[in-house]
Amino acid sequence: MAAFFVKRLLTALVSIVLASAVVFAAVLAIPGDPAAIILGVTASPDALSALRTQLGLDVPAPQRYLQWLAGLVRGDLGTSLQYERAVRALVADRVPLSVALAVGAALLATLLAVPVGVFTALRRGTLLDPLVVLASQVGAAVPSFWLGLLLILVFSVELRLLPAGGFPGWEAGALAAWRALLLPVLALGLGQAAVMVRMTRAALLDVLGQDYVRTARAKGLGATSVVWKHALRNAMVTLVTILGLSLTNVFIGSIIIEQVFALPGLGRLALSAIGNRDFPLVQGVVLLYASTIVLLSFLVDLSYGWLDPRIRYA
Amino acid sequence: MLRHSVWLLSGILALGLLASAFAQTPAPSRGGTLVVAISADPPGWDPTASTSQEIPRVVYGNVFEGLVRFDRHGEIVPALATTWSVSSDNLTWTFTLREDVSFHDGTPFGVDDVLAKFERARDPDSGHVNQQYYAAIEDVSAPDASTIVFTLSQPNRSLLYNLARPDSIIYPAGSAGTQRAQPVGTGPFRFARYVEGSEVRLERFEDYWNPELPYLESVTFRIIGDPNTRLAALQAGDIDLIGAAVPPEQVQLIDAAPDLKTYAGTATTEITVAMNNARPPFDDIRVRQAITHAIDKHAIVEGAFFGQGTVIGTHMTPAEPYYIDLTDTYPYDPERARALLAEAGYAEGLSFDFELPEPYPFERRTGEVIAQQLREVGIDVNLSVVEWGTWIQRIFLGADYDMTIIGHSEPRDINIYANPDYYYQYGNLRIAELLAEAEAAPSAAEEIAAYQEIARIIADDAVNVWVFSPANTVAAREGLYGVWIDQPTPAIDVTEVYWAR
Repeated sequence: MAAFFVKRLLTALVSIVLASAVVFAAVLAIPGDPAAIILGVTASPDALSALRTQLGLDVPAPQRYLQWLAGLVRGDLGTSLQYERAVRALVADRVPLSVALAVGAALLATLLAVPVGVFTALRRGTLLDPLVVLASQVGAAVPSFWLGLLLILVFSVELRLLPAGGFPGWEAGALAAWRALLLPVLALGLGQAAVMVRMTRAALLDVLGQDYVRTARAKGLGATSVVWKHALRNAMVTLVTILGLSLTNVFIGSIIIEQVFALPGLGRLALSAIGNRDFPLVQGVVLLYASTIVLLSFLVDLSYGWLDPRIRYA
Repeated sequence: MLRHSVWLLSGILALGLLASAFAQTPAPSRGGTLVVAISADPPGWDPTASTSQEIPRVVYGNVFEGLVRFDRHGEIVPALATTWSVSSDNLTWTFTLREDVSFHDGTPFGVDDVLAKFERARDPDSGHVNQQYYAAIEDVSAPDASTIVFTLSQPNRSLLYNLARPDSIIYPAGSAGTQRAQPVGTGPFRFARYVEGSEVRLERFEDYWNPELPYLESVTFRIIGDPNTRLAALQAGDIDLIGAAVPPEQVQLIDAAPDLKTYAGTATTEITVAMNNARPPFDDIRVRQAITHAIDKHAIVEGAFFGQGTVIGTHMTPAEPYYIDLTDTYPYDPERARALLAEAGYAEGLSFDFELPEPYPFERRTGEVIAQQLREVGIDVNLSVVEWGTWIQRIFLGADYDMTIIGHSEPRDINIYANPDYYYQYGNLRIAELLAEAEAAPSAAEEIAAYQEIARIIADDAVNVWVFSPANTVAAREGLYGVWIDQPTPAIDVTEVYWAR
């Protein structure tokens, strides 16, 4: 177990460093000069080269990457070119919102999808089953940004119940903050729930067809016990995999949702950083995204052993 | 006699209208807050460190002031200077500074701040942008504590205009290093709080030199990139004002709401189809003329912009004092376009790339219509959308492109046609001469004549296709008064904005 843990941890670290190198190279590969973007289109060549020097852009790229890595080891992510603030502080400001959004959406999706998925798996062959399957099909096909605009139209413009985007900040109080986050969480979570309903249903149907379920039924166990103790427990490995994937999905999906709802989260920070060729900021945000995804898959892997003792780590 | 009566009658009518307009405008009242939408985070807040128009949109007139400034009609009015005079040889300009002005950090404003500003503005290593505005200034001095004297090397008619631009704002001497993150000026609002990607908040400056202003207690500029989200926020009551560039298709929707209203104003933006004049086939004037003849500008404004714009024929807008209508130089005439193409050796048609800038929906929409119009005269256009950083780097700075489209929003920027390195790759020595003549012109009429001559030359040469100048549409909540409707310079100046009581 310990050896497995160390091995996975090392793999995770290597993945993160590789991701940062790939992103560094990718940002360099697209044309665009941060100094030109900051100074604007009428800047003189003198002013451009002066700003490049000031921003440290005259240093060769490989050297810049190594400097960045060295800083990373010390916990220093550098300074944003656009905002002239420490990348760590900028990113730290945005993390709570993006985490709240992603966790909220994943939680909503799970709480909605697992019961509905179980329910329809048990009602297989009834009229309800194809209806839910159809609904989830549609739900999975609707893009989250479109759903977001629709929710804004209904709940903000027509009913005037919730703000049409923007974020008052956590200091405005939990109520105000969650009022601003409710629609984005719905927009992001509902589509995810639709996908998860189908997966839960399929996983459970698969397990329900197994011999031990038939045996459990033959022993005379009640339906509740068969489903929740025998079937669902064994479908858990699949479900946790789905949950891990969906957390990753909502984390990525939040980039678009933050744009639609004008939320100051990591996704918008990343987009504006890429647009402005703000190299240190892009690196910092991507590092965080990569670490989160690697961490999530790491946790999912660990949970397998706990959920299913047959999965042994050597 | 009859004629006189008509004039008299219309005069009386006009007076009546004016009076009723005044009657309807309630007296300014103090207090209240305002939430305004802007579309992007600017690259810092210092208008002298970047030419990004997003910076002055928030800070011009609100946070920062210069010696003089533009008012809402584009007139140059006093700001930190109360009066000025120019010597008879047009080489010495004397400004008297306003007294008892303090900066937001409490330090008093004085001649040292002005001297430091213009030292930076003329020092190539200072990072101050648009130094060409100050090129004619030979010396700046302060003979006493409230007088600033500019000595010029040659007459410079646009000096006063340039001193009113956002580039010429004045902040405390020695504070250039911190202004991008923490702007400190003399304006009616002080910069209170900036949450990147979310909002920037300005608060009333209690020690503003004009005790009557501002009316509002605070103004929050909310950063909302998506135009649909901006509209929804306005409809939902989250914001009170979209200060510029409301898309034409949203106007009817907004006007249909009982508590909202749109206003159509002018702006100095020319939507310009730029051609690489140095590169075939655009190095042949017949091809450029043909392209101009092939484009139906009225159809674009009517069909794609609901008529909200003015068709133009040169690099000038009706919002500028030397405007001249040259739309008839090469009018819409597809037959003539085909004939010119055949004459230039492209009877079988031709093909080139047309690249549209991703962040600008007006330009993208115009470009898509134009591509279709060009196809109708046998030009096969390869349309593509380019991301902004790439546009600046490859197209604008590198001049590596065939055709592109962009809105040139800077006022008085016709001087770009004298620069052979500019991305049009045009550059005409005669224009440089005319610009010098305009600067040295003994009268305003002669100055305007020189500018109009430039406008004619570039129109005749069909350097670019100047399609139209979009109306500047503002959307505001009912009961909000004093908003800038025209954009003589990019600014959402809320100094005189108030809520009706």
